[in-house]
Amino acid sequence: MIRLRPRSAVVLTLASLAGLMMFVWPLLVRVEPQSMQHGPDAPFVFIGILPILIVVVLAELSEGGMDSKALAMLGVLSAVNAALRPLGAGTAGIETVFFMLVLAGRVFGPGFGFVLGCTSLFASALLTAGVGPWLPFQMLASAWIGMGAGLLPRRVTGKAEIAMLVGYGIVVAYLFGFIMNLWFWPFITGAEVDYYSGSISYVPGAPVLENLHRFVVFTVLTSTAGWDTGRAITNTVAILVVGPAVLAVLRRAARKASYGESGTFAPAGEPFSNPVRARPPRPPS
Amino acid sequence: MFGTYFLPRDLHPAAWWVWALGLATAASRTTNPWLLGLIIAVACLVVVARRGEAPWALAFRLYLVLAGFIVTMRVVFRVIFGGAEGSTIILRLPEIPLPAWAAGIRLFGAVSAESVLGGFYDGLRLATMVVCLGAANALANPKRLLKAMPAALYEVGTAVTVALSVFPQLAESVQRVRQARKLRGGTGKGVRALRGIVIPVLADALDRSLLLAASMDSRGYGRAGVATTRARAATGALMVVGLLGVCVGVYATLDGSTPRYLATPVLVAGLAVAVAGFRAAGRRVHRSRYRPDRWQLAEVVVAASGVAVAVVMFGTSRVDPTNLNPSLITLSWPLLSWPPLLGVLAGVVPALLAPPPVLATPEEVPA
Repeated sequence: MIRLRPRSAVVLTLASLAGLMMFVWPLLVRVEPQSMQHGPDAPFVFIGILPILIVVVLAELSEGGMDSKALAMLGVLSAVNAALRPLGAGTAGIETVFFMLVLAGRVFGPGFGFVLGCTSLFASALLTAGVGPWLPFQMLASAWIGMGAGLLPRRVTGKAEIAMLVGYGIVVAYLFGFIMNLWFWPFITGAEVDYYSGSISYVPGAPVLENLHRFVVFTVLTSTAGWDTGRAITNTVAILVVGPAVLAVLRRAARKASYGESGTFAPAGEPFSNPVRARPPRPPS
Repeated sequence: MFGTYFLPRDLHPAAWWVWALGLATAASRTTNPWLLGLIIAVACLVVVARRGEAPWALAFRLYLVLAGFIVTMRVVFRVIFGGAEGSTIILRLPEIPLPAWAAGIRLFGAVSAESVLGGFYDGLRLATMVVCLGAANALANPKRLLKAMPAALYEVGTAVTVALSVFPQLAESVQRVRQARKLRGGTGKGVRALRGIVIPVLADALDRSLLLAASMDSRGYGRAGVATTRARAATGALMVVGLLGVCVGVYATLDGSTPRYLATPVLVAGLAVAVAGFRAAGRRVHRSRYRPDRWQLAEVVVAASGVAVAVVMFGTSRVDPTNLNPSLITLSWPLLSWPPLLGVLAGVVPALLAPPPVLATPEEVPA
């Protein structure tokens, strides 16, 4: 549907690299004495830069022009995702947005998954008044989730596929929480929880390993067990319960749309021939 | 000029969006229930006065339902997941103990008035913003918004617009599927019922997307641009080089041991090159505009009224912030002061001064 050409892949990789640095910057800052240090104001600069990066990547992905069917599918699936999202209201990690993203990315491929992650979160933010500085970061993180689902091995089918998607959903649930926490962590510096005596706050300029240790303690204490586990359970249950049926529905739509084939006009004088090639029915899986 | 001012026409959608976002911004500055209720009332009044007959205009009721749902959910969640901040306990529920590692989650237990009220204020603020967005959706023609997207984002912007306009149809689709289930005597509960509703709705939505694609194709969507191979290569090169610059710049910004000339200058230059590539990518899309929306006096009036509401609310929160966020520590009736009240009332202006929409069936036939 949305093909990843080599150039798009390069642009996507570069933008992902820069985006990743903006997520994990607290671990990268290294203070050198007597040097101009951008530690404290870096996150605010990034809040301005990340939207530009996302826009550039989206422009590149749709550069050759997008198929109208891919576009309509993108819009409808974004609407479904946006409708699913407020169901959980983000409470206690009941995040209902990711499983659809994983399934759609799996069926329609990495490029589509990436764009769907962006458009879903954007549409959902427009609908739920969730527009804010966190939006670009959420968009990029869920775009990665959709892309990753599209990059999973194609050959796996049947029960093994569902098992693989469940596993991916669990991993992604924790990674999403981890990376969003990492971005958010420095903004609540000085955070102390009363049931853990050590300091878990961010120390600008401390060695990477020390900050990483502090961060892991922080995220395990505050969110991994509760929120991220809730998200992982939601993903697992949703993929197990409706996953096979949703996959079938999406694949049926993909087949019906027959992406990548375009109608042609027969040359003058020739009898009309049906441009849509008949496809053999799929064996039920 | 004033003779034609009140002739029925569709306003520029951006004017309605500016107006609605102004109201929403104002709502985001306050948790005072009187002000929030007033903002909702203003939005409803303008919508009723100036909406057309298109399906998106009739979807406004859904946004009101959604708003009510948000408020209810916020309060219910406060009750379920720990609502004991404050001293005025109004309800004592048995608490379900959870292990210590489930950080931040508590099931039931004592419920305080402060916490429930906090949930209500918070939910009402979010609900007000949703209603404002609903008003924009009801008043602005989403299809006309397509014209305002930057050319390089034409496709993605179209996808988002499709998503926004499909969203209300999903609710209608759910209702239809449930009715059909009832007619067939389907009374299953639990997982089967869920599957019985989710899958048909999804299939319906996907079928609709194919219909939409077909109608877009038949209207000539997807005409390839005229960019030459060389121009496209240049676009790609600009993007790649720009993003490389951004990568280096971001890293150098973070790593104090790299030379400083690699940080901000490279970052800015990389961004500039990437944006140039973005603009070049937009140049492939050549689209003429059929009957372009013009920005006229009425648009200025509508947009200005929304901006005025936001500006007054920002000004008030600078000068006299006490009544905008009622205290949750000492419980009392929230008070209302004149400046924000009058400011919010400025949002009513479009109900009186915007030209009426074009209606297919005129309500009254002029004699």
